[in-house]
This record gives sequence, C-alpha cells and structure tokens, in this order.
Amino acid sequence: MSVDRRGARAGIAVLAAGCAVALLAPLLVNDRPIMARNRTGRIIFPALRADRGVAPRSGDEPLLWPPIRRSWRDVDLAATLQPPSARHLFGTDLLGRDLMARMLHGARISLAVGLGATLLALGLGIILGGAAGLRGAGTDLLLSRAIETLSCFPPFILVMALQAVGGGGLGAMVLAIAIGRTAAAARFARSETIRWRGTGVWIAARAAGASRPGAALRHLLPLVSGPLAVQAAFGVTHAILLESSLSFLGLGVPAPVPSWGAILAEGRGSLDVAWWPTVFPCLGLALTLAALSWAGERLSSAD
Amino acid sequence: MTGYILRRALVTLPTLLGITLVAFAILNLLPTDPLLTWSDGTAPLSAEAASRLRDALQPDSGPVTRYATWLFGLLRFDLGRSLRDGRPVTAVLAEALPWTLVLNLSALAAIYAVGLPLGWIGARRRGGAAAAGRALLLILSVVPPFAAALLLQRLLAVRLGLLPLQGTGAGDAPGVAAGVDLLRHLVLPTTCLALAGWAYAARYARAAFRAILAPEALAAARARGLHGISLARHFAPNSALPFVWMVAGIVPALVSGSVVIEAIFSWPGLGQVLLRGVEGRDYPLVMALMLLSAVTVLAGQLVADLVLPAIDPRLRDLVARDENVRG
Repeated sequence: MSVDRRGARAGIAVLAAGCAVALLAPLLVNDRPIMARNRTGRIIFPALRADRGVAPRSGDEPLLWPPIRRSWRDVDLAATLQPPSARHLFGTDLLGRDLMARMLHGARISLAVGLGATLLALGLGIILGGAAGLRGAGTDLLLSRAIETLSCFPPFILVMALQAVGGGGLGAMVLAIAIGRTAAAARFARSETIRWRGTGVWIAARAAGASRPGAALRHLLPLVSGPLAVQAAFGVTHAILLESSLSFLGLGVPAPVPSWGAILAEGRGSLDVAWWPTVFPCLGLALTLAALSWAGERLSSAD
Repeated sequence: MTGYILRRALVTLPTLLGITLVAFAILNLLPTDPLLTWSDGTAPLSAEAASRLRDALQPDSGPVTRYATWLFGLLRFDLGRSLRDGRPVTAVLAEALPWTLVLNLSALAAIYAVGLPLGWIGARRRGGAAAAGRALLLILSVVPPFAAALLLQRLLAVRLGLLPLQGTGAGDAPGVAAGVDLLRHLVLPTTCLALAGWAYAARYARAAFRAILAPEALAAARARGLHGISLARHFAPNSALPFVWMVAGIVPALVSGSVVIEAIFSWPGLGQVLLRGVEGRDYPLVMALMLLSAVTVLAGQLVADLVLPAIDPRLRDLVARDENVRG
C-alpha cells in the first residue's frame, strides 16, 4: 500500500510540475519582458498582458526578460521548419513559429480543458446522481433514464454535434466535453449515494439535524473522495485526449491558439521533411497521459 | 426467459425516445440562428439560398412541430435530405455504412484477439513475460490513437512501403485479388483503431482472469491433471461472462475512434460523413448520425444484457427468480 501511495504521489508531483509550467508559460517563454518601466516611470508587466493583444510600446525600458525570449505566434518566414537547435529548442513549424513556445502555451489549453471539463462533469454528475439516489422512487426512475440516455452518446460525437451548431471557442468545448462525461460521474454518484444511505453515518448525520442534501455533501462526499479522485484522474485523461483529437480534426479551439492536437495537425503536412513538429507534441501528450493514468491507477489500488 | 427479454427490450424504449429528444434538442434548441451560423457571419446568404434553407429547416414552425415531423419521418426511415447536396440522408448513410462496419468489426476482432491473450499473460505469468506485457500496455494506453496512426502510417506506408497509405483500394481487380487488396488497406486503420482497445481489453481481461482463476479452483483443476490449453478450456465458459460485457464498453470507443482514424486514412465511412456534416453544418445529417451512434451504443448494452443469461446458467436462475440482472 505504501508503495502505491508513493507511486500516486510521484505521478501527482509530475502533474503538478506540468501544471506549474503550463500556468507560468507566459513568464517562461515570451517575446515581451516580464517587467518594464514605461515612459512615465511606472513599473508594468507586459508579459502578463501579452495574451490580450496589447502591443508593446517602444518607449518602455525592459527590466526583466523571461528565460526564453520567443513568441508563440510571431510568424517568421525566414526561419520555417528549423530543426531543433540552441535557438529553437524544439525547432520551428511551417510558419517559423517557435515550437517550444507553442507547446508550452498549448499546455495551458489542454490543462484548462482537462481540469475545467472534469470538474464541471463531476459537479453536474454529483447533482444528478445524488438527487436520483436520495429521492429514490419516481425521481430516481426519471433521472436514471436521463442518465442512461446521456451515456448512450459517445462524448466525442456529442462534442462534434455541438460544434456543428456554431459552438466554437474554449468555453463551448469545455461545456461539451463536460456534458459528455457527466453520465459516468452521475452513475457513480447515484450508486454511492444508495450504498451509503441508511448506514450509520447517514442516520447519525440525519439525527443531528442535517438535511438530506446537506448530509450527502458534508458526510457522504468525504467518504468517497478516494474513488472520486480516481474518477477525476481518468476524466482529465479522457478530456485531454478528446480535446487534442478534436483540435487535430480542426474542430477544436479557433486557429491561432496553439493546442497540442492542432500543432500535430499542422505538423502532419510537413512530416515529409520535418519530424519535430509531429514528434514533440506526440511526446508531450504521451507523457502527460502516462503521468495521469499512473496517478489514477496508483490511487485506485491504494484504496 | 421470454418475459425477461420482453421486459429488457421495453426498458430501452424510454431511453430510445430520450435519445431522439437529445439529438433533436442539441441541433434545434440551442440559442443560435441556423441561418447566421450557415453564413459564418461573414457574407450574408443570398436571398435564394436563405429561402431554400428556411424551407429545409422550417425555423419559424415551433420546435414541437419540427420534432414531431422529424420523429414521424424517422418511423418511416425518412431522415430528411442533406442540406449540402440534397440527397436523402438515408442514401448517404447507406453508402458509407458498409465501410464503417468492415473497419469496426475487424477492429473489434483485433481487440479480442490481442487483448485476451495479453490479459491471460498478465494474470497467469510472473516475471519477464508479465513485465513486458505491462510495459506494452502502458505504452498502448498513453499514446493517443491519432498520433500512433500518423507515425505508423509514416513508418509502414511511406518509409517502408509495406502497406497502402490510405483509402480502400481500387476495387476493380477481379475476385480474390480485390479481397487481398482490401485486406491490405484494412491493416493499418484496423490496428490504429484497435490500439486503445487493446489496453482496455487486456486490463479488463487480466482482472477477469484473476477473479475466475481463484487459487483453490486452479489447484483442483491441476489436481485433475489439467494444464496449458486444457486448463484454459476448462475455465473458458466462466470467463465468457465479463468478455461479453466488455462489448458494451468497447462499442462507444470504436464509434468515436473511427471518426479520427477514418479521417487519417481517408476511409469512406460514417466518420468521414459526420466530419463533413459538422464542417458543412449539415443539420439533418449530423442529427441522423448522432442518433445512429447512440442507438449503436444502446444496442451494444442490450445485446450484452440479452446474451449473458443465455450463456450463464447462474444468471438464468436469477432471471427466473425475477431479479434484475444488472443489480
């Protein structure tokens, strides 16, 4: 057991490091200074505002640069498809953009989609499944049919259909993946609620005056936090895979935003002459998914 | 038994209705204007195109009316017409369905043919073979299928020239040659589609074999002189149960997986139709395909539920005692 716990911790540590890098991406790889003094003498932070399309002003005096001074979206047609070098660690793509910068920024997208969709799906699932388990009888019958209906749609197909009606953009994608994953979470929440309802914990909580949803959330939810974490780990894996597959098909987040799947799809066109635009995103995805499933598996065997 | 089959089939009816509702709702009830979506907000549609689209989508005739019309059409296998080329949706689907069936059935066969032995090795062997199996599984489960497809296509078709790059072959060669050509074209897409399934199946099979091959039962069988193949045959009927159940888990993965794989290998199946439909905002087509994929998944569950009591006497007893099989 202790070995598995350690394994789970190792996987989670790798993930946490990845998350940190992804979150700090604008500070690590950027063509704008982290800190600068503008003409009026005030200290500003251009790197943090880069994503909002604010052009850097020429009068600023840079004070602190990121460790890697590359932009993720500046096209440089003089440096297309450069192999990995000291200047471009992962090489450049067909438009001369730095691949490492693009991948680090893409990691934020994957992370946002993976975590956002999973949390949303767990929330929706707990509400749906919990309600079904708590109310029982007619409500349960109705909600169970609804959950079963939802579970019949493969998330991938659901997301594609939502894209067809004009739901582009990051938010719509997160929502679509979350809806596709809700059924699994709801099933889990329902069976756990039914299992724990009527046990000593439940009766004690109710006798102490907790309402039914209150007792479920305050006293039952912590009991199942272990399996829930496992579900979440696999959910994030699944969501990241979904997002990258969709971006690969050109149905993901809109074009200039780099996502690993989109980078792969772009690299596919130049696979004849350059391996790096394909291999690095593949490796990134494989490592992320390996760490996630490692953590999930260790978590599930640790319980 | 007949009662059970009837009851089980009856339970799927509300779900089936729910599926039509969801498919309809997603493509009709979202607060987006189809006419606006169609023009992508760039150039306005011409008056003629707009009126034709209005005619096909009937945006003004209330959702309930449209749902009812669609549902009644569905009962007569009339799924409407494609907005892009005006052909009946059923004709478009019928054209692509055989290709998808061939690809998915061969992938299903490949998943079982490779996954079960891998699971058996994982459950029975110790040391080298088991470790190699585990390593293989880990790799299989973390490489995204589309990435694997790209790299395999590159390596086997382009570099080594062993297999065709994409498509289904010309199909004009006579008899056997055409069959061989099709098989050669099938190898890469099937492998790539089955990749993710192998890890799932092997993991599932390992757990199942472990549970079935309890030490006591194994010792008893050994004491009767069974080993190797005969041992496997002795335990096979017991292990059929989880493997039939596995279908219900594999089918949804295949349905979504084949969209990506078909795109990479230019396989003229339903996945390609869906992709084109989504890109072209062909609502009737997308609606029909959503329906089809959901019904396929539902059918997978139904088949698993109906086949299980047929092969497992214990479940038959349960059914006879009027208990719910799925608990």
